[in-house]
Amino acid sequence: MEKVFIDGLSFAMPLLVMAIGAIYSEKSGITNLAVEGFQGFGAFVGALVAVILMPTLGDGSQTVIYIAMVAAFIGGGIYAILHALLCINFRANQTISGVVINILGTALTAFLTSTANKIMNGDSSNKFILGVCDRFTIPGLSQIPVIGGFFKNMYAFEFIIAGIAVAAWYLMYKTRFGMHLRACGENPQAVDAAGGNVARTRFIAVMLSGALSGVGGICFAYSISANFSPSIYMGYGYLAISAMIFGNWNILPTAAVCLFFGLAKSGGYQLCLNMGLPSNYSDIFMMLPYVLTLILLVFFSKKNHPPKAVGEVYDKGKR
Amino acid sequence: MKKKELKKSRLAALLTHEKWGGVAVPMLAILLALITASILLIVMGKNPIVAFISFLQGSGIVPKAKYGGGQGILTDLFTTLNTLAPMLLASLAFIIGFKAGLFNIGIAGQMLISGFTATVIVGYSGLGSFIAKPLVVVVGIVTGGLVGAIIGWLKYRFNIHEVVASVMINYIISYGTGFFINTYYANMLTRSMQICSPESRLTLMNVQIAGMKCNIPLGIVLAIAAAFIVKFIFDKTVFGFELKAVGNNATCAKYTGINVGRRFIFSMAFSGMLAGLAGVVYFLGTYNTILPKTLPGMGYDAIAVAMLGNASPIGAIFAATLISVFQCGSNYMSSNLGVAKEISDLITGILLMFSACGGYFQYVAQRRVSRERDLLKAAEKEKEGEQ
Repeated sequence: MEKVFIDGLSFAMPLLVMAIGAIYSEKSGITNLAVEGFQGFGAFVGALVAVILMPTLGDGSQTVIYIAMVAAFIGGGIYAILHALLCINFRANQTISGVVINILGTALTAFLTSTANKIMNGDSSNKFILGVCDRFTIPGLSQIPVIGGFFKNMYAFEFIIAGIAVAAWYLMYKTRFGMHLRACGENPQAVDAAGGNVARTRFIAVMLSGALSGVGGICFAYSISANFSPSIYMGYGYLAISAMIFGNWNILPTAAVCLFFGLAKSGGYQLCLNMGLPSNYSDIFMMLPYVLTLILLVFFSKKNHPPKAVGEVYDKGKR
Repeated sequence: MKKKELKKSRLAALLTHEKWGGVAVPMLAILLALITASILLIVMGKNPIVAFISFLQGSGIVPKAKYGGGQGILTDLFTTLNTLAPMLLASLAFIIGFKAGLFNIGIAGQMLISGFTATVIVGYSGLGSFIAKPLVVVVGIVTGGLVGAIIGWLKYRFNIHEVVASVMINYIISYGTGFFINTYYANMLTRSMQICSPESRLTLMNVQIAGMKCNIPLGIVLAIAAAFIVKFIFDKTVFGFELKAVGNNATCAKYTGINVGRRFIFSMAFSGMLAGLAGVVYFLGTYNTILPKTLPGMGYDAIAVAMLGNASPIGAIFAATLISVFQCGSNYMSSNLGVAKEISDLITGILLMFSACGGYFQYVAQRRVSRERDLLKAAEKEKEGEQ
């Protein structure tokens, strides 16, 4: 039972930070299907920095992980400039731009990984071997019956993501910038009339989105796979998008949805083990979050309110 | 200086031209992508011209210096056609949805489920090739069409955005088929699905043509035919016209008495049918097995191919050919130049990125043309005033 909570939370947190990234972009009025590409590219930059630093700082060093997370944050943000340029400055169809960003991200990271490996070790493998993040147990809280499992064996990055999530929530709902951002997604003309700069706000929002997705990507690389390889494009970016839609484009409900997805995944896996089923039955449980999202959308999609101006190029002359 | 300006305004006029703009814009995107790729190759210390020729050689358009035993230029050409056929079908599938204002991102899933169903129903049945091959096509079309129709219905009945529904369904299909493959149909050695029978496969393997071993894809005939059928439907039929009307302005279409919801279902079903056909051509033609839990990347590439072809069925033929050449020529290019093979995907990606900017090129050109027109008018007015 504890294992369900531990694994569930360690899956939910990276998913959450990616979903928050997606929310930032969509709330500002830019459709974001590019989360998958952002997280992969962010993870690549983080992993590259980690691989470069590892010989000097030592393989097991945990500082490398924190530096890698910062690098992933920056790398994801820089890659997101491309999406922002395409959507805001070059007036591309935002859905198509997202798809292109994902295709380009997969190609670019695969190419750069094998090139970097060739330069550093001489072999052209498509992997960066990373370690696994350290785990902590919070002394008092982990003694609570049942939910104490949430506080046992936590990855260090889970605390960081929790911090980022709170900060992101504050920025979105309690600051002037956050209000401008949300207004850009609902009624950009009004923002313009009030003296705001729609293009700039959206640009920053998309970059933030990429940066947050990048952090999610490197956390997956440091927990589930313990390396960076093309398998980072497992579709978790799309899962984050579905968490966002499920959570009605708000951070708090989305957090709950992410936790639910995480628990469904780990719970299903444990159930499968406990029932003595072979491991391939876990695929059925992997389907669950997607099936549930679809079923719940059937009931709630009438109540779902995506940002009104999402997907539209902002045209000053339009009213 | 003046000459440069003249050139610019000529380019602008070409890009906005009613008839030629549709060709000129993708051409500009391709040109820009090739320039970017060339710069990249020069930075890496390689000769870009040799690289591009290697791509053509690897894909069987230009003859190579030497061939292995029993192989020849036709071998490579047919390999390229084997990639081209499913890619063209998949991009046609996207175009049908796109014209009706629907974004079918679920092509990958529809391909996978139809390939899987056809393999299970026909691929293992041991039927003769004259029954099995048409049956594979029918099963593929029906399965893909059903999935497409479900997505359309979800949009019509429950207002679920088709992108969201298709992404969910993609992963449901991916894990669902993955479970069945791993549990019942796995080849223990390769960890992929057991291969389908040669009778049901839509590619004729190892046919001797002029002493060269060729794998002939039957799907290419279907694909080219499908391109012209799609063109015919959009240009000449009421149904196609209504789809375009819905895509251009759904509200307007509704007021003219078109049942928009039903058009959504029809267009998604139609799109799914072509995606299903692409799936069987891909999984029971180009390949003869399915990797569990892997969505074919072609399903996403196809979207970009459609965009590169300006969302027109005939344009898609050219765009799909170009992308196939890059993908199939990459191995030869890689061994010839010693560049990582992944660069072909990278070039494809850059190409797609520029083609996504197509609308922007046209927008800038349009602004230039109208500004020039205004200047001209102003000058004429001044002249009149003088007189």
